[in-house]
Amino acid sequence: MDSRPGKGMRVHQALRHDSALKHVSGEALYVDDLPAPSDMLHIYIAMSPHAHARILEMDLDAVRVVTGVAAVVSAGDIPGQNDVSPVAGDDPLFAEGEVYYAGQSLFAVAAESLEIARAAALEAKVQYEILTPLITIDQARQAGSYIEDSQTMACGDAAAALKNAPRRLKGRMIIGGQDHFYLEGQVALALPQEDGDMVIHSSTQHPSEVQHCVARVLGLASHSVTVEVRRMGGGFGGKETQPALMAAAAALVVRKTGRPAKLCLDRDDDMKLTGKRHDFEINYHVGFDETGRIEGIDLALASRCGYSEDLSSAINDRAMFHVDNAYFLGQATITSHRYKTHTVSNTAFRGFGGPQGMMGIERVMDEIAMALGKDPLDIRKVNLYGKAPRNITPYHQHVEDNVAPELITQLEAHARYRERRAEIKDFNRASPFLKKGLALTPVKFGISFTKTHLNQAGALIHIYADGSVHLNHGGTEMGQGLLIKVAQIIAEEFAIDLGCVKITATTTGKVPNTSATAASAGTDLNGMAALNAAQEIKGRLIAFAAKHYHCAREHISFSDNHVTIGNRVIAFADLVNQAYLARVSLSSTGFYKTPEIHYDRATHRGRPFYYFSYGAAVSEVVIDTLTGENKVLRVDILHDVGRSLNPAIDRGQIEGGFVQGMGWLTTEELYFDDGGHLLTHAPSTYKIPACSDRPVEFNIEIWEKGSNLKETIHRSKAVGEPPLMLAISVFSALGDAVASVAGHKFMPRLDAPATPERILTAVEETRRRAGVGKS
Amino acid sequence: MYAFNYHRAETLDQAQDLLAHYDDPKILAGGHTLLPTMKQRLANPSDLVDIAAISALKDIQHVGSMLSIGALETHAHVATSPIVQQAIPGLAALAGQIGDPHVRNRGTLGGSIANNDPAADYPAACLALSALIHTTRRHIKAQDFFIDLFETALEEHEIITRVEFPVPETSAYAKFPNPASRYALVGVYVAKTRNGVDVAVTGAGPVVFLATDLAEALTRSFMPGALDGVSINPEQLNDDLHASAAYRAHLIGIMTRQAVTTALARV
Repeated sequence: MDSRPGKGMRVHQALRHDSALKHVSGEALYVDDLPAPSDMLHIYIAMSPHAHARILEMDLDAVRVVTGVAAVVSAGDIPGQNDVSPVAGDDPLFAEGEVYYAGQSLFAVAAESLEIARAAALEAKVQYEILTPLITIDQARQAGSYIEDSQTMACGDAAAALKNAPRRLKGRMIIGGQDHFYLEGQVALALPQEDGDMVIHSSTQHPSEVQHCVARVLGLASHSVTVEVRRMGGGFGGKETQPALMAAAAALVVRKTGRPAKLCLDRDDDMKLTGKRHDFEINYHVGFDETGRIEGIDLALASRCGYSEDLSSAINDRAMFHVDNAYFLGQATITSHRYKTHTVSNTAFRGFGGPQGMMGIERVMDEIAMALGKDPLDIRKVNLYGKAPRNITPYHQHVEDNVAPELITQLEAHARYRERRAEIKDFNRASPFLKKGLALTPVKFGISFTKTHLNQAGALIHIYADGSVHLNHGGTEMGQGLLIKVAQIIAEEFAIDLGCVKITATTTGKVPNTSATAASAGTDLNGMAALNAAQEIKGRLIAFAAKHYHCAREHISFSDNHVTIGNRVIAFADLVNQAYLARVSLSSTGFYKTPEIHYDRATHRGRPFYYFSYGAAVSEVVIDTLTGENKVLRVDILHDVGRSLNPAIDRGQIEGGFVQGMGWLTTEELYFDDGGHLLTHAPSTYKIPACSDRPVEFNIEIWEKGSNLKETIHRSKAVGEPPLMLAISVFSALGDAVASVAGHKFMPRLDAPATPERILTAVEETRRRAGVGKS
Repeated sequence: MYAFNYHRAETLDQAQDLLAHYDDPKILAGGHTLLPTMKQRLANPSDLVDIAAISALKDIQHVGSMLSIGALETHAHVATSPIVQQAIPGLAALAGQIGDPHVRNRGTLGGSIANNDPAADYPAACLALSALIHTTRRHIKAQDFFIDLFETALEEHEIITRVEFPVPETSAYAKFPNPASRYALVGVYVAKTRNGVDVAVTGAGPVVFLATDLAEALTRSFMPGALDGVSINPEQLNDDLHASAAYRAHLIGIMTRQAVTTALARV
């Protein structure tokens, strides 16, 4: 397939990423690649060695006098507010009075080189009074330490349903957190402007927030700060709120010295300083009938939020919204406890709490299957959302676009689920040490920011007099292919070649007050906003052509780089030039807000999601019951992206999301010691998936019947986050393989990540419970 | 990295003269541990004496019942040497599992055992094979050489010249790598000679050690099944972010069985 952007290539085409060749050749510029101004300073952030302590004295004089140090800035140097938080006002740029986690920023050193800055920071004399930290969920629970009130969502009377159910079971699981491990670390470059203004190049998913934060810290109006980002080397939610700190520190150095300044965290510092995916503890009590159908459920979620609120409120809400996944829970009570600990403040991460919520219910499905001696797939199918009244979510939104049953049936056949189930049974019977497991799990993921006001976007389009188009919108590129998708939409609207549309860096100077590129909603929102701008200009061009050529509007159409005006055909560029000469404005903003959505957080009722994205995956794994080592042998995915705007990009998102989810659930382990120090802060101790960890056989199919019931951009669906949760099938398959050592009579207690040690422990416990000796 | 002076020695005598001459010199062989340590500013030698050019330290010979390997032989060279592969295939296989190709092309036998990283592979082979470590001053038995975490019997400025391995009847190394670093979470070298069996364990404790219970069971019967019922006490083992002591104890048993199976296949 020739995927070069060129003639006639517009929406629904599998086009390669606009920067693909530049990514490979190294020509794609990231913030750290930008040519450094000659007088640029390098910044190092000094971090707290303690998880909880009172700062008795911080003497930085010895740091200041080191040769090559231009400035040292701490809380006292901040002209505005010492706050880089997104919402709650509780994330200081630099610690003041107390430190709340090991790794918290204390002060910044700006020097002629990073080496000088780093070495000089060691000269600081800081005296602490060590206080007792709360590190674990258990410790926070005992101390009653929360970031906000616990939340409850209820549908019907779960207690009564549980009491009356023919069968019941209870369980508990622990799900670890995850570091984003974006290839490009956190970085900001601040450039001084006239009148104290500031231009900042930030690796951020949320330029507007960085802009507002920097203004707040410097005590400036937002119009004095411009934030720009061409692309990130990965974000995954880790650059939604976190980049504000880097940008504010760099801006403060600029303010103090008048010189450009760059802050680029190294990997270890990045992992210690910045927030991660929340780790969760889930307790479930479920009542069901003999077919495995759930009648009532009580789910209690607990998460470690860290020392401040950040986005924890919305993240834990989204976990609650996804405890049902694709299933009708009947009478359900869902509670959510958000614990405040002396650890790094956990933050957004692809799925935003949804994956953790889904892990709980998928474990419940597996447990019910074991209890009834049935195939877990049959339990999943019998519980899927269906027709009314089995279409109401615990938050009272009706599921109107449910394609899960059809999609699952198709995948079951394509992946030969039943045949392979039998083959695996035979394999396991004949194999004493290696045991295989199989699982099919679905994904239903709600699309929209659950904070309704965030569901808005803006765009700006210019057409120059030669017919070339300049495209800009509030969405940011982090490798996910947003910019080419929106460019395809604009090329389609004007019926011009994709090469005529220039993709440009996101900047607060062109589109203001944007939302983060997050919640999988980048294309939905920005694609629509850009379309709105294009239609505005197109309307002006049509009006001009109708008048100029005395032709009815309905006889004017755009196709193949030309415009047909009655029986005259002229080049698009020529019409644009004529419009320019006739003094027609060829520039327009565009705007979009998602319709229909609303939510009342006090009662946890409403319609938080415009629609749902669906998918399903079958994973086959093998474990070594002697060591706990494991391998993913084969994965089959069928995923619904609506009508794909760009199947090549969407496929990449599905593949990458799955592998990232697999890493979260199998190998990536955040290990904090008793003092709250993260000990796995580099790839030598924190194991992310490598190419060799990909499934041996990896079949990805985009659902050809996919189409969005809602009027989204060209009927496409969001694809950024949902595929990550397809990897829950790997975790379920590992549980299935473990359970095989005792004839699937018991569901092994298996926590995530399922490291070899945890798998081995689960194997041994399962055998012990079943009274089965080692084979 | 702090500033230092660099010296290149052409002969052992010259190397020893240089070492004697400076305040706080360090020997540079492959540099795969020393240079990263210096970059982190965890080491601050005044002078580096590079011995990599001393050809007398690069030599592999199989004479009678002894395999002698020069201290500067790289892991890659040991792994692919027909002499080593023929004499002690288990040792060649071990060298081929160290680190990655970059490490194997630079790292040396002498450097590895002089550093005595608790998770290094070579110490297990030296101990299980009862190797003799020759230096510029003497020779030291392996069981007297590896003392504790990063600590050996080497004295100041003493240079390892070669290591002599008695050729066993059969031997093998089995390693469970840490998924992230690929260092040995547990590595077990099993060697069978006319006099019995020795089992050396790396990665699991502060320093490589002999697992005598396992060795005795295997001396009675050199079969994986001979280990049934022999348990490993986790008390002295490492318990850290990489693995619990209990998991390491379990893996010692499994890796020993694997090594025995491989060693039997080599007979």
